[in-house]
Amino acid sequence: MKSQSSQRSHSNQRRASPSLSTWVQIHRKTALQSWQRLLKTPASSFATVFVIAVGLLLPALLYGVSANLSSVLDNLNGTAQISLFMDNGSTASELRRLSEDLLSDHAISSVALISSEQALEEFSAATGLSDLSQQLSDNPLPATLVVTPVNADPESVATLAARLEGTSHVELVRVDSQWIQRLAAASQLVAVSGQILTIVVVLGLFFIVGNTIRLAIENRRDEITVVKLVGGTDAFAARPFLYSGMYYGLGGGMLATVLQFAIFIGFNSALQDLLQLYESNFHLQGFGFTSSAALVLGGGAIGWLGAVLASFRQIAAISP
Amino acid sequence: MIKFDNVSKRYTGGHEALSAISFEIGTGEMAFITGRSGAGKSSLLKLILAMERASTGALFVDGVNINRLSRRQIAQHRRKIGAVFQDHQLLFDRCVFDNVALPLEICGYWPQDARRRVRAALDKVDLLRKERLYPEMLSGGEQQRVGIARAVVNRPSIILADEPTGNLDPDLSADVMNVFQQFRDVGVSLLVASHDISLISNLDCRTITLEAGKITEDYRGGGG
Ligand SMILES: Nc1ncnc2c1ncn2[C@@H]1O[C@H](COP(=O)(O)OP(=O)(O)OP(=O)(O)O)[C@@H](O)[C@H]1O
Ligand SMILES: [Mg+2]
Repeated sequence: MKSQSSQRSHSNQRRASPSLSTWVQIHRKTALQSWQRLLKTPASSFATVFVIAVGLLLPALLYGVSANLSSVLDNLNGTAQISLFMDNGSTASELRRLSEDLLSDHAISSVALISSEQALEEFSAATGLSDLSQQLSDNPLPATLVVTPVNADPESVATLAARLEGTSHVELVRVDSQWIQRLAAASQLVAVSGQILTIVVVLGLFFIVGNTIRLAIENRRDEITVVKLVGGTDAFAARPFLYSGMYYGLGGGMLATVLQFAIFIGFNSALQDLLQLYESNFHLQGFGFTSSAALVLGGGAIGWLGAVLASFRQIAAISP
Repeated sequence: MIKFDNVSKRYTGGHEALSAISFEIGTGEMAFITGRSGAGKSSLLKLILAMERASTGALFVDGVNINRLSRRQIAQHRRKIGAVFQDHQLLFDRCVFDNVALPLEICGYWPQDARRRVRAALDKVDLLRKERLYPEMLSGGEQQRVGIARAVVNRPSIILADEPTGNLDPDLSADVMNVFQQFRDVGVSLLVASHDISLISNLDCRTITLEAGKITEDYRGGGG
């Protein structure tokens, strides 16, 4: 056994206010220990991570659907059109005059004329029934004037359509934007459900993480007692559990990203096959760096906060 | 350094473990607390550590009333005290080294500093060679010495020891007392609960005798 009086002179040199690098070293050690602890019970740790991942995935998918719907809507915006189907008796000159009249209307930005012959040609081409026009003695398709209104909003389009209703030789007025309105309403609904689901899921995840952390604290009650007996604060005793909560959340976020990616790949290839038929250059949205980062970081934050909420009172209650 | 002023401790069951205790331990003073099992020795030490709260009376450590401390202040207060517990209170999933390093970790020591101090403390109790073992691989006496090393590693201004030599043979007990006396010589106040009468009488220190929660004798000692 050594004499210690010689060592006492340089005691108290680095305590009380640890420097930043000391702080980092200490945190790194705690972080590593918490990590190793999670690995000691891989099955139950993974179960928690998996539940968090599924919870995060649900609102993420809804947000994806909503993002894609609104990008579809953005593409369609300003494409409201009114089709005027003419009666069979209208002559080419009448059609031309009418379209000129319409063009002078300040509510109309452009007018396209589709003659009945053009309509039949397009129909044959689109259906592949190329010899249809030859077989038909009489063209059953009417000539159409496609009117693009200046204002694409539903109300002014409806007003314009009502005004065009009485025009001579016009048999039928059809507004082509109703399905866009329905799509917009559906997209709105999806977005709102996504928000509500997010709140529910976040609360649920707090509960799940909290419960896991509470159990962990209960299992390590003796250790917390010892830590407090030698001068550890509540915050010090809670630190490893906060790391655990954060790991659960980060793990859940990463797993959710992977699952989302898998779903995206599967869905996208099916969608591209479909889109090819329509020669559309539409691309799926909602999967990228930002959404993955949001999932992972959001998961980590939820895990950490859930652990804070759970450990706060429980660790304070252990007071030797 | 430590001052009991008419302190009583009544546990929730109604049992009065300490009644009207008044005494004072100065800076650099070493005192034994002795008495039969159940006399209240551990209760007295627990009051100083703020593990229990006095029912009546005032208890001052370094001029601060312990009964008035907040949670955070209790943690700060315990860092000034090195405590050896009757039931060791070791962490069983950490090795000897990490157990002894715990108080330094809590205080935020630079790890290199901590390593040096832990080694020095383990050397004092002759456990340097077992620093990588876990407490369950140690004998009762070795566990006790780990607790002693942890109590002294942070160079506290007060050392409280509850039966620190309970599981030790006379040679090791004398060694531990030697370590304690070295701390006393550099100004540390020590309060040691023990019923090892022969050890106490050998040292001829101040000895407070408890009987059913009351001080029946306060022998001032000749050896300091
Ligand atoms: N938490 C408690 N609740 C109720 N009674 C207690 C509690 N702790 C101790 N006591 C009682 O207080 C009395 C003193 O106990 P204490 O542990 O202080 O004795 P001690 O002198 O340390 O004994 P020993 O030498 O056996 O360790 C005992 O009668 C015990 O039953
Ligand atoms: Mg006792």
